[in-house]
Amino acid sequence: MDKATIELLARRAGLDKALAEHPEDVAAAAAQASGSVARMKAPADPRAEPWPPMKAGTGL
Amino acid sequence: MTDLHWLSAADAARAIATRKVSPVDLMKALLDRISRLDPKLNAFIRLDAEAAMSAAKAAETEIAAGRPRGQLHGVPVGIKDIIDVAGLPTTCHSKVLIDNIATADAVCVERLRGAGAIVLGKLSTHEFAIGGPSFDLPWPPARNPWNPDHHPGGSSSGSGAGLAAGMFPMALGSDTGGSVRNPASACGIVGLKPTYGLVSRRGVFPLSFTLDHVGPMTRTVADNALMLGVIAGHDPLDPGSAAAPEGHYAAGLERKVRGLRVGFIRHFHETDLPADPEVAAGLKEVADTLKSLGAEVRDIRLPSLGEFGAVNRVILQSEAWAIHGQWLRERPGDYGQLARRRLMAGAFMGAGDYVHANRRRLEMIASVEEALREVDVLLCASAMDPPCRIDDTAEVERTYPRQARTPFNVTGHPALAMMSGLSSGGLPLSVQFVSRYFAEATLYQVARAWERATGLDGKHAPI
Repeated sequence: MDKATIELLARRAGLDKALAEHPEDVAAAAAQASGSVARMKAPADPRAEPWPPMKAGTGL
Repeated sequence: MTDLHWLSAADAARAIATRKVSPVDLMKALLDRISRLDPKLNAFIRLDAEAAMSAAKAAETEIAAGRPRGQLHGVPVGIKDIIDVAGLPTTCHSKVLIDNIATADAVCVERLRGAGAIVLGKLSTHEFAIGGPSFDLPWPPARNPWNPDHHPGGSSSGSGAGLAAGMFPMALGSDTGGSVRNPASACGIVGLKPTYGLVSRRGVFPLSFTLDHVGPMTRTVADNALMLGVIAGHDPLDPGSAAAPEGHYAAGLERKVRGLRVGFIRHFHETDLPADPEVAAGLKEVADTLKSLGAEVRDIRLPSLGEFGAVNRVILQSEAWAIHGQWLRERPGDYGQLARRRLMAGAFMGAGDYVHANRRRLEMIASVEEALREVDVLLCASAMDPPCRIDDTAEVERTYPRQARTPFNVTGHPALAMMSGLSSGGLPLSVQFVSRYFAEATLYQVARAWERATGLDGKHAPI
């Protein structure tokens, strides 16, 4: 993620103050996020349900 | 007789019930030990000595009057400081919540008190159970009793350190990516992440709703089973709570492991994240010992640790961002640097990433379930390295993710970490056992077999 994208996403998330006071931490957070997302494989089946599924009538 | 501070919870409870040990004498011994050791180890954020002593006196009176409260009457317990204890601050080891006084006990604390346990105080954690050992917080980080220059693991760091130092025989921890099992591994104690939903999370500050577990931490396997029996149970007010059948966790403790099928996940520590040779040798020793006791050990493969770790982080950091977003926008400077970095990561993930992670999670659950149809229990690494120096920031950063605990937060299976031996440097090495949902009793059976074979329950930190 380049610097401009990080700034754009950080501002969109309302992290203006963090960006001004802790820019290196915002950059580190963005790098962590990119790394994790890149290492996650897409599900083998595009129709795959997320877990847990909605279960009407149970729980609450 | 064993020194009072090394008494197990079960032995202490028995001795108190039969009036061989006074709960007041036990409390005095522990408070004395805490006052001597805690300035070096920082296990406590807040010691509630006066209330604890007063509860010990009340326990003594009640027992003398023939009014026992439960199976832990008079036994002290430490509580990780993300878990509410009525009247005390739940700070999460953070400036952000420094004045956050809990108005009620968390359900797990309520259950412990109902069984007669006495709350000693609130224990150090990594900030919001995610920050890592940090020196930029209102309280210093806990240190490892086996060598105070080394870290004690985390995030339930005070729980692990205090147990290993003989400050209390039981503690509560929480585990979202391994935070009960990491300090159990680093401090040479027993830590269980139960099946997801077995222990109520109500009154525990959340890190990730999908992955959070509350777990018992003790010095012996038998104590762990005893403590789980007290804190487990359905809570209709916790949406994740499982309506599980009542578990008899200690029932199989002394049962032999002959014929038990053990799946050894070697690729975790051999190829995914190659472990320190002493850690690898310790795991082989555990497998060989179980084999010699009659268990059938075979190799099992699961998805790689890299995949499990990525799914864990995407879910954890997305949900943590939803919890902390407002505070991070308004007062980012009130967080320590490590927590700030990790908690802001969720701001840079997309909705699709979060959904993908939860779809992959289902596939990962299926893979562990399939493995557990072939075997009764899984054996694998917990930490890939012995605990490093706490002041070596680069080494802490390098070794923290080198672990095999997150897979079972992703899948919700019960997992127990304990000591496998000691490194040449005198620091604990570890092993992890995993079983089917709600089969904690099987975990305890295997863990106790290993403990019994090696006498590890009698091995204490030289402090």
